[in-house]
Amino acid sequence: MNPVDRKLWLASLTDRFARGQMDRRSFLRSAAKLGLGAGALGAYSHLSARSGLGLISPARAQEQNIEWPEDMTNWLKEAAKPFAGQTIRLATESTPPSNAINSALKGYFTETTGINVEIETLPLEQVLQKLTLDVASGLGTYDLYYLDQSWMAAFSGDVVDPREKYESNADLAMPNYNIDDFLPALVDGISMYDGVMVGVPYDIPIFIQMYRRDLYEELGLKPATTMAEYLSNAQTIMKAKAPEIYGTTGQMKSGHYSLECDWTCWLWAHGGSIFGPDGKFTGNDEAGIEAMNYWIELKKNMPDAVTSWTWDGQGQSVAQGIAGQLISWGEFFPSWDSPNGSNVAGLMEATVPPKANSLRAVDETGYGEIPGVGHQGGSSLAVSRYSKSPDAAWLFAQWATAPETQVWITVLGGGTGPTRSSVYDDPRVKANAKVGIPGTTRHLDAVRETIANHMGSEPDLPEWTEISNDIIPVELGRFWAGEYDDPKTVMDTIKQSVDNLLAS
Amino acid sequence: MARTEAMTIRSGLQIAHAGDLTGRMAADVPPSMGGAARSTRRRKFLSDTPWPWLAPLITMLGVFALYPLFYNIWLSFQEFLPRRRSLEYVGFENWATMFADSRMWEALQVTLLYTGICLAIQIVLGMILALLLDSDAPGFGLLRGVLTLTLVVPPAITGMMFLLMEDPQFGLLPFVLKSLGIMDGSGAILSDPTLALWGVILADVWQWTPFMVLIFLAGLRALPKEPFESAMIDGANVFQTFTRLTLPMMWKVIAIAVLIRGIDLFRMFDYVYVMTSGGPGTATYTLSLYAWQQTFSFIKWGYGAALSLFTLFIIVVSANLFVWAAKLKW
Amino acid sequence: MMGSTSREVVRAVVAWLLVALFAFPIYYWITVAFKPERDIFALPPKLFDFNWNLSSFEEVFGISFGFDKGLEVLPGGGNFYMLPNLWASIVIAVLSTLLTVIVATLASYALSRMRIRGQHHFVFFVLSTRMMPPVAIAIPMFFIYKNFGLLDTYTGIILAHALMNLPLAVLLLKSFFDDIPTEIDEAALIDGASRVLIFRKIVMPMALGGVAATAVLCFVFSWTEFLFVLTLTQTSFKTVPVAASTFVTSTGTAWGNMAALGTAAMIPAFIFILLVQRNLVRGLTLGSLKQ
Repeated sequence: MNPVDRKLWLASLTDRFARGQMDRRSFLRSAAKLGLGAGALGAYSHLSARSGLGLISPARAQEQNIEWPEDMTNWLKEAAKPFAGQTIRLATESTPPSNAINSALKGYFTETTGINVEIETLPLEQVLQKLTLDVASGLGTYDLYYLDQSWMAAFSGDVVDPREKYESNADLAMPNYNIDDFLPALVDGISMYDGVMVGVPYDIPIFIQMYRRDLYEELGLKPATTMAEYLSNAQTIMKAKAPEIYGTTGQMKSGHYSLECDWTCWLWAHGGSIFGPDGKFTGNDEAGIEAMNYWIELKKNMPDAVTSWTWDGQGQSVAQGIAGQLISWGEFFPSWDSPNGSNVAGLMEATVPPKANSLRAVDETGYGEIPGVGHQGGSSLAVSRYSKSPDAAWLFAQWATAPETQVWITVLGGGTGPTRSSVYDDPRVKANAKVGIPGTTRHLDAVRETIANHMGSEPDLPEWTEISNDIIPVELGRFWAGEYDDPKTVMDTIKQSVDNLLAS
Repeated sequence: MARTEAMTIRSGLQIAHAGDLTGRMAADVPPSMGGAARSTRRRKFLSDTPWPWLAPLITMLGVFALYPLFYNIWLSFQEFLPRRRSLEYVGFENWATMFADSRMWEALQVTLLYTGICLAIQIVLGMILALLLDSDAPGFGLLRGVLTLTLVVPPAITGMMFLLMEDPQFGLLPFVLKSLGIMDGSGAILSDPTLALWGVILADVWQWTPFMVLIFLAGLRALPKEPFESAMIDGANVFQTFTRLTLPMMWKVIAIAVLIRGIDLFRMFDYVYVMTSGGPGTATYTLSLYAWQQTFSFIKWGYGAALSLFTLFIIVVSANLFVWAAKLKW
Repeated sequence: MMGSTSREVVRAVVAWLLVALFAFPIYYWITVAFKPERDIFALPPKLFDFNWNLSSFEEVFGISFGFDKGLEVLPGGGNFYMLPNLWASIVIAVLSTLLTVIVATLASYALSRMRIRGQHHFVFFVLSTRMMPPVAIAIPMFFIYKNFGLLDTYTGIILAHALMNLPLAVLLLKSFFDDIPTEIDEAALIDGASRVLIFRKIVMPMALGGVAATAVLCFVFSWTEFLFVLTLTQTSFKTVPVAASTFVTSTGTAWGNMAALGTAAMIPAFIFILLVQRNLVRGLTLGSLKQ
């Protein structure tokens, strides 16, 4: 049996085991027939019991039997010869791809190329701090930047356009890298600013619709296709189940970027936009107020604690089984399928977000904002302009986003959607679309379709970091804390602050 | 037992012993050190001028404290231009902006409130605990040891710990308060504008009260016994003894504890950064957090430097006033 | 007599209760480290009856404690593998404490025995270096460190922590030396002993308690420091407080692992404190009782 088939078979066994259709003894017996020693299996069952957070351990990678294509190895060996012995550094958020590469995959890259890779994984705000210091000092202490889409514009001047790199030096261009394989919506949404390609699309957390299958069946609900249905679903669940289970949940902590993310989703869904074509804030227009009113209604179906939560608490509320549905980051989905970390293993389903009431076109907005219910929080991997080893860094960036690597990242229990269309179709990825295995991929179809048809992207402007991390979430935080009488006042206040900032 | 030990340091017995030692050593000195001109030179060099002794300190503070100070003063007249990736001279613009910035004044208010409340609680609670633990009965050594445990938890982790414990939905504290009927259904602490600061203060009090206890305890243990004995003979009660003897005699210890803690409280950053991000709204935005955010999140280095210098200015002035009022003399 | 005994009992009970209140969050945090992830958020909170398990520790230490498999070392290098960071923390805390204590002892002895002009202001200046908000020091330090090649090195962090602790150490140690009667020094000086000799052979041994107390505080402050390590290190190492932020991932916080690291990190510092606990209490008098 080849490794891929074996893996498929094991996945389906585990699936049945986790669903309770198979007892432990026969599971072990069947697995033993696959030639899996007790040790390997022990490691597997131990690790699969963990949630989707940190399980990407070297042990797990070993037992995956990762095999790299020979032509990739040969090419990397050849191309990296001049750079062997160099060290490249990257500061990144602790995201699934970064964790997979850091914990399990980079060993192969270093072995093959002789290039050392040092990765620093930090929470998002701290990554921003590191980048800021590096960029403002121009010292090149990092060779690669992890750029969240909301900072892209601010750092667009500090990076090397990959297309330039790619075309200028054929020796450094990875064969079959196929830049066109990246989902086109992503290239536009997370990599392009003002005609510059800031980096290569690295990962793509995106808002999808997720719900409790058991509740929906019990209450006769269907996944919402309109915003009104989504609200009424939440109300139905709330009515039937509160306070044990709330209609929906949220990430609405004051002063935190997550609050701004939730707001844009509702804003866009009601035909609003953050900016108008004249570059002025438009969140206080009629559509904006309608969105706020919808959000106020929706919040009545959430636990009170949502105003204390970022994505972390929101994810936990689903895992604990106190939320019936949500439109939020799809990358949390795999952790909810893990029986040890969650009370809802196997009960969650993922689908595309409901249709927007109306959507503003891109030319009705400002700064390249793309309205869409599926708010994306993608990031790209960029080569620093100040790097002293840009070529080695570029080799790594290509390898880290190559189709083969993305497949392994996804299979190892990622959670974020791959950024390449070929990876979604890969049989190894599809084989993981099962309940109860670490890093299920059964939400990826929804992710892919959301990227293609429902994706919303925030505007790109250098001041956006401040607007999205401070002005909007702080004022919205005040609003939800009851310091404003009505949504119009808070939106007017935000407008004033944002427009003032942009005018100065 | 420990009190007597502490006393022996000052006792004549100890000094007499030290005197003996000196005598012995003085006898040893000439053969081991005398003679060579080199050692005479060195002896002279190191004998009565304090500078060689202070040199390492002054060097370190000069490089790592004065340089940052001057750099920040210079920086506060510059601003980083994101589009040009460079610093540009802006004159007094940052300072003018700062004094007109309502966010800054709010942050100052929060910081003052936070510092004041924390200090008050930590002094009172610290003193109560210190008085309680100042005993040589069995078990009290262990209690003192256990109490210091809070100090070894990094504040960043303490913040996460209290964030978890104060979570309105899953947290232990709201659960207990709700069960006791003290709190209404929402359980919100950190997301409630009136309670959020108290939620942060709780973490600070938990972590740093034991620090006060340690300092107070040391002070209590070094108190001379005689006045207390005569007070007891005179029939003074516990409260009278405390206000008329302990407090006045401990005054300087308390003053130094307040000074050290006050400085750290005014610059507090970790707890709000981890627990509230300054929210809800700006209810827990401290000056340190505001300066941090301006500097690192928005790359407004000049403005951040102005904010930091203003913070430094306030601390230096109030510390000076305090030192003067408390009649501390070094 | 009866009254005094019952008062002692009440005092002991109140003391135990209050200390228990302070110790409780630590107990709670330790249980988080041992809980399966699901139980961390269970309602009502599970304080005693949960399934103890070691997997959080296994990931943090890279060791499998599985009883059926025996003690097995898992391959290290994973994201949550924290043993090297724990080690880095210890090295940095110990060495920076050593540096601080040496520099501060020298300086405070001089300040105590050979008064300088404007001494009061000089001491206040030393203390005032602790008054700068850390964020303001971070940027200039970053530039200095980059120029001197200290960025991302142990030396750099040790220096930074020593710098941060010096004001407090000088203040504490000076009051200590002040407590030791100057007559001793004078007698020895007349006998022809040098300052160095007096310092080494007479004053230092007498001040050891204070030195130990100062050392503990320096150790603890270095052990728990966050901002300098965050700003001045990159990829070569992290100390525990910064390493703990690795557990805050984009797909949720690994509370169990964070608590496991936090629990493990308490042990070395606590041992250090226990070793000098007697001196700690005795040593912090700050000498301020002398008028």
